[in-house]
Amino acid sequence: MDTLLGILHMCIFPGGIFALVIGFFFKGLDRRVEARLQRRVGPPLIQPWLDTAKLLTKETLIPKTACTQAFLLAPVVGFAGMAVCAAFIPVPGVFDGLSNMGDLLVLFYLLPIPAIAMMMGGSASSSPFGAVGFSREMIIMLAYETPLLMILLSVAMLVGKSMSGGDWGAEFSLLKIVEWQQVNGSLGYNPVMIPAFIAYLIFLPGTMGVAPFDIPEAETEVVEGPLLEYGGPLLALFHVGSALKTFVVLGLGVAMFFPGTIGDFWLVNLIWFVVKCLVLMLISLTVVKSATGRYRIDQAFRFFILVPTMLALCSLLLVWLI
Amino acid sequence: MSISTYTMPLGPVHVALEEPVYFHLTVEGEDIKNVELTSGHVHRGMERMAMQRTLVKNVTLTERVCSLCSNSHSFTYSMVVENALNLAIPERAKYLRVMAEEIKRVASHLFNTAIQAHIAGFKSLFMHVMEVREVVQDIKETVYGNRMNLASNCIGGVKCDVTNELLDYIMKQLEVLEPQTDELYDIFQTNHIMLTRTKGLGLLPTEDALALGVVGPVARGSGIARDVRRDSPYAAYPDLEFDVITEPGCCVHSRTMVRLREIKESIKLIRQCCDKMPEGPVCVHMGKIPVNEAFAHSEAPRGEVSYYIRTNGTDIPSRLKWRVPSYMNWKALSVMMKGAQIAEVALVLNSIDPCVSCTER
Repeated sequence: MDTLLGILHMCIFPGGIFALVIGFFFKGLDRRVEARLQRRVGPPLIQPWLDTAKLLTKETLIPKTACTQAFLLAPVVGFAGMAVCAAFIPVPGVFDGLSNMGDLLVLFYLLPIPAIAMMMGGSASSSPFGAVGFSREMIIMLAYETPLLMILLSVAMLVGKSMSGGDWGAEFSLLKIVEWQQVNGSLGYNPVMIPAFIAYLIFLPGTMGVAPFDIPEAETEVVEGPLLEYGGPLLALFHVGSALKTFVVLGLGVAMFFPGTIGDFWLVNLIWFVVKCLVLMLISLTVVKSATGRYRIDQAFRFFILVPTMLALCSLLLVWLI
Repeated sequence: MSISTYTMPLGPVHVALEEPVYFHLTVEGEDIKNVELTSGHVHRGMERMAMQRTLVKNVTLTERVCSLCSNSHSFTYSMVVENALNLAIPERAKYLRVMAEEIKRVASHLFNTAIQAHIAGFKSLFMHVMEVREVVQDIKETVYGNRMNLASNCIGGVKCDVTNELLDYIMKQLEVLEPQTDELYDIFQTNHIMLTRTKGLGLLPTEDALALGVVGPVARGSGIARDVRRDSPYAAYPDLEFDVITEPGCCVHSRTMVRLREIKESIKLIRQCCDKMPEGPVCVHMGKIPVNEAFAHSEAPRGEVSYYIRTNGTDIPSRLKWRVPSYMNWKALSVMMKGAQIAEVALVLNSIDPCVSCTER
């Protein structure tokens, strides 16, 4: 029964269909708001659905020199990884998350899957642009995974120490972290955690691959890099995976820093959760991407080591010392 | 070729290139070890075509050599024919020609600046610059009726007069354009991303620039005050005041700065044209065509463009030859690309404002 319920959570709520609807809605809104910031009209909100529908009607082309299995498998792996991830995201007041122990660690392992799928697809496509995209994706991933680990650790340690009465401890259950915050106040308001929250805001454009960190898929440099050889349903699957990832990383941010609820009615809490995700997306992705250009890969790496890693380290040390 | 290097094709069709040109990059990781260049994808046999058309028809042909500096070609072509015919054009026509030329220069420089932002992945800045450029496009459309090819030049003067009402309109549009250009200048001078991406990139030291004989903003970006408008003035330029802009940086950023500051000079020139415009006819008759040869050159947005013509007494030229600025600047790419990365190829290429159609014609 539990297995069946788990699969349902991965396919319908909060993973699968729900995450896809939210992800596509966010993507559409993101494009719309970005267009408005550039004094354009922008596409309609359902544009991501239309794009996907169009791609699904196209044929699947596989380059002659590509490694066929890896090429076909990559988008599926990326999509599946994110669909599973989405089920671990607790929606405060509505859904507790699929697991109640250690899911923060599971998320940390699952989050890089789309990037790995991208690398796999890029190198399997046998295109030199894919190869450049592969190495760039690898570098940028190494750069943003370090601060992410520190952010997760500082959240887990702060909650863990408090729950064990000031002793050494770490709490890796997102549900417990959410519950702790509902009693003791959101971590986003905690001065110790503010550097970690800023680091998370910088991590978001890095992991989502938008400006100034859209380096692996840089259109004017490597023509979409790993995605260059993809088309039709496979490309659509990459887009779906990316929409799910939007939901996952934003949902994780809300769960870690602002999981407050209003009232007990599930629908209100669900809308409240979506609104918080939306605000997080607008400030960390949309506005940033319309206000910046693209870094070079070495500049981006240096930036990640200097700014978000140091900010996250700052929070980690503060949590450890206090 | 060692195992760690691989070749990467860039072009002939590539997002960062407006025109087809093929780069054969030998890459090691992100670093470029060797650049080979193949071109010839847009060769249209224009010099041959020019030798089969009449002198008058060639005005239209030369205007279609290139899109962004279209006016410079018909302008210089008209000048070279007038030199061969020993034709003196009316004073008013000289001012009108300069005005059209400077309007095109503003639009061309803004376009190049916008593309630089686009290549650096800065979409909003691209939109912003293009929006500023729209002010100039409005001038072109209102005054000349076209947004790209102005079709204002003809042999012996200009085709259409610009009324005082339209001159007032141009002045009004310049009032709008000037503060926006200042704002753009500030953005490109201070924006963190644009500075990190372009400053110190694509270095062309002054000695190399001199040795390679580069022209236009590329030369001026390397600190060489080289400008045909001042060095051998033509049309109304001797009567007009302007500065030759130079920047000492020798990099992509300083070339952009040269272009942005030149826009200000062009605005100054257009204003002077509007103020000093003498009354009178705008065109004179061609007269008899002698057996003669002539040369003329002018400063196009990208640098010096020069025309040579040989007439044989008929209305069809027996030779028409022109040299475009990109031909001179092209060679400098090998110096600029040294030690560049894949991410920088398009930026460096864009900094010489290449006009492939001009060069291959």
